[in-house]
Amino acid sequence: MQTKLVEVFQIGAEKGGVLDLPEDAWPAPGQHIACQRAKGDSDPLNSQVFQVIGEEGHLNVASIPEDWQPGDILTVSTPQGRGFVLPPDLQHVALLPYRVSPGRILCLMREALNMGAAVSFFSDTVPPVEIMNRLPAAVEVSPISSLLENLDWPDFLAVDLERGDLPTFSTLFEQVDLKLKGQVLVRTAMPCRGVGECGVCAVRTTKGWQLACADGPVFPLKDVLHVAQ
Amino acid sequence: MWLNENAPIHKHDLVFSKPFVNSAGLLGFAPDPHKIPFISNLGAFITHPISRKPRYPASNRACLPYPGGFLLHTGLPNPGISRSVSRYKRAWAGAPLPVIVHLLAEDPESLAEMIRKLEGLENVMAVELGLPPDCDSEAFRKFMQASVGELPVIPCLSPEQIPVLRETLLELRPAAVHLVEPRGVLPNAEGNLLTGRLYGPGTFPTMLHASRELLDDGFQLIVNGGISSKLQADTFLNAGAIALGLGSTLWRLKPEFLV
Repeated sequence: MQTKLVEVFQIGAEKGGVLDLPEDAWPAPGQHIACQRAKGDSDPLNSQVFQVIGEEGHLNVASIPEDWQPGDILTVSTPQGRGFVLPPDLQHVALLPYRVSPGRILCLMREALNMGAAVSFFSDTVPPVEIMNRLPAAVEVSPISSLLENLDWPDFLAVDLERGDLPTFSTLFEQVDLKLKGQVLVRTAMPCRGVGECGVCAVRTTKGWQLACADGPVFPLKDVLHVAQ
Repeated sequence: MWLNENAPIHKHDLVFSKPFVNSAGLLGFAPDPHKIPFISNLGAFITHPISRKPRYPASNRACLPYPGGFLLHTGLPNPGISRSVSRYKRAWAGAPLPVIVHLLAEDPESLAEMIRKLEGLENVMAVELGLPPDCDSEAFRKFMQASVGELPVIPCLSPEQIPVLRETLLELRPAAVHLVEPRGVLPNAEGNLLTGRLYGPGTFPTMLHASRELLDDGFQLIVNGGISSKLQADTFLNAGAIALGLGSTLWRLKPEFLV
């Protein structure tokens, strides 16, 4: 499928863009789409982009390569991988970007609010102003320590982190009998996008080694906590 | 031409209906037409590298881009020969193209054992030998001797291995030689050095240069070379390669000259 890069923007340290795709072709939060420029793309790898928070009614994605410009025609894949799935009986949702830009995890905010759930956002760093401006008053912003002190509050925890941070993230919950449901978006390179089973995106889980490109990149929290490498 | 119509065909000769194959490790363990829509454009499918025992992903696995390509370091995870055969033999047998199984040569005894497990499997056309980076001519000779059997054997050499193994290659004259991507070293984000194979168009000049030496020696040559255009593919074929191994171009959404 081909589409146009309508505009580009900065979201924290990442460069994002708006794609002119019909809504039924949008990736769900946590899913990704592979993109390449239709002409003149010298990069040997596709870019994997994720939906990020942005203006409602548009598909905002990041990260896109620095040299992509508004008006570029892109070849894009269908949405790939497993995204976040919020449970139907949701009441309290905790969103936790762990040492990463909050743009991807905040895509869940709108869906959770529409389900009537209370949403809290946990971060030890102040989000970029372009993100703060998009947070509704109903969303509470707190440090991660307050989540750890109130683990009985959320009934669903959504996390976004780099694969390499899984072990240190697990230590946050070392002394805790974690009962809440949750999912983790594991950021890792996925160069083969599932075509090659190349193994670069392998994640160790309680079910054995799994591939983020095919089995993730969103994994159940209980599958990766304390085991992931 | 990838098929010389004037030359006699021997039992261990390799004939490709189409002049493209994939690089080992870049399209999985079995051809899947649903995941790989351009599979019918290939003349054979080369499996992921398979070892005698299961291998797990490297703890420092990474894909490190650099101008002109990328370095891939995975640890070559695979379920081992026994599980691979039981899991994939049906897919290999039913594949719409012949299959070449890529074996990681670790020691001659285990290599011989792996090859025995593949003999008689339907639609397996040949075996490829992935040689250790430090393979010397004596070890290479032992690997080749251990591989003698029903299936044609294709040793895989990267350009830096040619000076070390050329004399032995000339003596042993395998059914074909597969010239594969060079190894390289790059620092990761933490500054630690990672070793892996280099993929992408930046390897083309190196591979073209290395291929000429082997073609001059008269080897049946399959060559990987960072091929990303028809012109580059034709350059190798006109030089005499019997098939071209495609690498990262197969991961593109639209492998330009295949679709």
